[in-house]
Amino acid sequence: MTYSVQFGDLWPSIRVSLLSEQKYGALVNNFAAWDRVSAELEQLSARDFVNEAIFHGEPEPKNGQTAAPPPASWACSPNLRCFTFARGDVSRFPPARLGSLGVMDYYLMDAASLLPVLALGLQPGDTVLDLCAAPGGKTLALLQTGCCRNLAANDLSTSRAGRLQKVLHSYVPQDVRDRNRVRVTSWDGRKWGELEGDIYDRVFSLVAEIQAVWILTESWLYHLSAREVWVLVDVPCTTDRHSLHEEENNIFKRSRKKERQMLPMLQMQLLAAGLLATKPGGHVVYSTCSLSHLQNEYVVQGTIELLANQYDIKVHVEDLTHFRKLFMDTFSFFPSCQVGELVIPNLMANFGPMYFCKMCRMT
Amino acid sequence: MAALGRQVLDGHRLIPLTWSLIARQTTRLGGQKRTTAFLLRKLTMVSSGGGLGESPSVEPQKYVQEPEHRTGLTQCLLEKQRTAVEREKVVSSLLDMGFSDVHVNELLSIQPGTHPQQLLDIISELILLGLNPEPVCVALKKSPQLLKLPVMHMKKRSSYLRKLGLGEGKLKRVLYSCPEIFTMRQRDIESIVGVLKEKCLFTVKQVTEILHRCPCVLREDPGELEYKFQYAYFRMGIKHVDVVKTDFLQYSMTKTKERHVFLERLGRYQTPDKKGQTLVPNPLLRDILRVSEAEFLAKTACSSAEEFGVFKELLAREEEESEGRMADAGSPEEAGP
Repeated sequence: MTYSVQFGDLWPSIRVSLLSEQKYGALVNNFAAWDRVSAELEQLSARDFVNEAIFHGEPEPKNGQTAAPPPASWACSPNLRCFTFARGDVSRFPPARLGSLGVMDYYLMDAASLLPVLALGLQPGDTVLDLCAAPGGKTLALLQTGCCRNLAANDLSTSRAGRLQKVLHSYVPQDVRDRNRVRVTSWDGRKWGELEGDIYDRVFSLVAEIQAVWILTESWLYHLSAREVWVLVDVPCTTDRHSLHEEENNIFKRSRKKERQMLPMLQMQLLAAGLLATKPGGHVVYSTCSLSHLQNEYVVQGTIELLANQYDIKVHVEDLTHFRKLFMDTFSFFPSCQVGELVIPNLMANFGPMYFCKMCRMT
Repeated sequence: MAALGRQVLDGHRLIPLTWSLIARQTTRLGGQKRTTAFLLRKLTMVSSGGGLGESPSVEPQKYVQEPEHRTGLTQCLLEKQRTAVEREKVVSSLLDMGFSDVHVNELLSIQPGTHPQQLLDIISELILLGLNPEPVCVALKKSPQLLKLPVMHMKKRSSYLRKLGLGEGKLKRVLYSCPEIFTMRQRDIESIVGVLKEKCLFTVKQVTEILHRCPCVLREDPGELEYKFQYAYFRMGIKHVDVVKTDFLQYSMTKTKERHVFLERLGRYQTPDKKGQTLVPNPLLRDILRVSEAEFLAKTACSSAEEFGVFKELLAREEEESEGRMADAGSPEEAGP
């Protein structure tokens, strides 16, 4: 089995977590009465892991000297509030409700999905392109930061783009959507590079939800019951429960093997498009909900090589070690990524999988 | 005389039966009213250690009013003698069966109200079923209610158990952990045996073996027992022979599911395919079910107590919710687009 080779002794605990109920985080909607909502969530014994990480996760200064401030690129995207239950606590959040301001109070999502948004390190006035934006958790988070002067959210599938629209309508007031020039499109994300050129200073490239999340060996699939396969497919789509029951679209069916194998190619094209659309000096975060290094590190390294060779574009991978340390209490990280970081599911903290890698376009 | 007197005093436990004997004799043979009444009352008071003012029941008055009575005291004492003789007979029979003096005393004091012959009859059935004296004592001390069973019922049940193959010494274990095998209704035993034979398709020998080794199956709901077997056979791929050998049916469904599903999701247990093969050999059943939780986690699952704890909670919730869904899904769904 591919994954047992890749993860060794960690694989059984990852596997049991994937096949068991995932854990959710409640992303507070800043466009609703967020302080009241936060207080209510705290009453449930949940806590804001972002707040805890940023304000309590700073490393102690050595020898009594004041710690050097972290480089600007390490700063997390601001204004994000996300509540989770403690390690080992399997309580569930009640479903989100419509607040008095006409928008929902919080959005339930895989808390690990917030990390790529945090890692992007948005600053006020940024223009953001979100490729493969559906079902909308990360897109919504981007809007919560309040930093997006322009947000273009794209997804390949029309139906999924439609769902994304619905999410944005339920959570973001009309005037904010207009102000941020939120544009939801359903074009083939790969074409962005050609159309928009180097407009975007920060590009948020997501290549997650093409339904195939892991590449699994044939024999393992054969032995899993149908229900188990659906659960696997559903996990990375965070709150997108529709894929749980989409038997026709299930990419793990044997007949779709070729599609699975083509995935890294597609992912490379999308990442390349994202990098090409970025201004020099701008940042790209590539993230997937896959455990497979074929979809993760190989894609990153392959794309960087491709851009260097074919376009003479230099891309630098940023070290996220400090960032990872901030969130180690809430999430389980895989210790041996060559580039980027990988949140692995664990029964004590059943978030993820979530791979993310931050890059800076140099030239 | 003195000996008889002692017996009278000691035999206060025998009063109820003796009383009825006296009463019968008295009405038949007649006797002096006053003397009888007085003596009867006196007997009662002396034996039960009460004061003069007490009169235990209305009955003596009734019989006293009968026209004909014999001299009560003689009759009483004769009855006492008869009972004592019977008791002696029982004691010697018990000694013959192989019980020691100690055993005999123990047996006689288990349930004081029991008539010695009743005691002997019950014990005889157990001996005939192949139990040794020591286990009989232990079993009866633990479950004195057995001594209250009608002897006919006891005989019928014994013959049924013999048919099931539970004679010849196999009964000891069953009796210790499940004495209800004598007191429960015949049809309840039959329904369990029926599930094992007709639904689970165990052989007759296997059924005997199961009852012998896992007598607690007799206490289970037949439907749940069948489900337990199906879980073993279809879900875990365990064959009939191994279900019997490993005493699978004695473990609770909750414990079995927790440990099995945990291993399955960890990737450490696989349901065998049609040929009965798995990619990697499954752990032995005894390493799954028979060992303690700590050993199970360390040796078989190779996981931590905290992860298993969380898993058990999640699994319990899954079970609860799937039961709820099945209860809701009363009518078949219509074909969707």
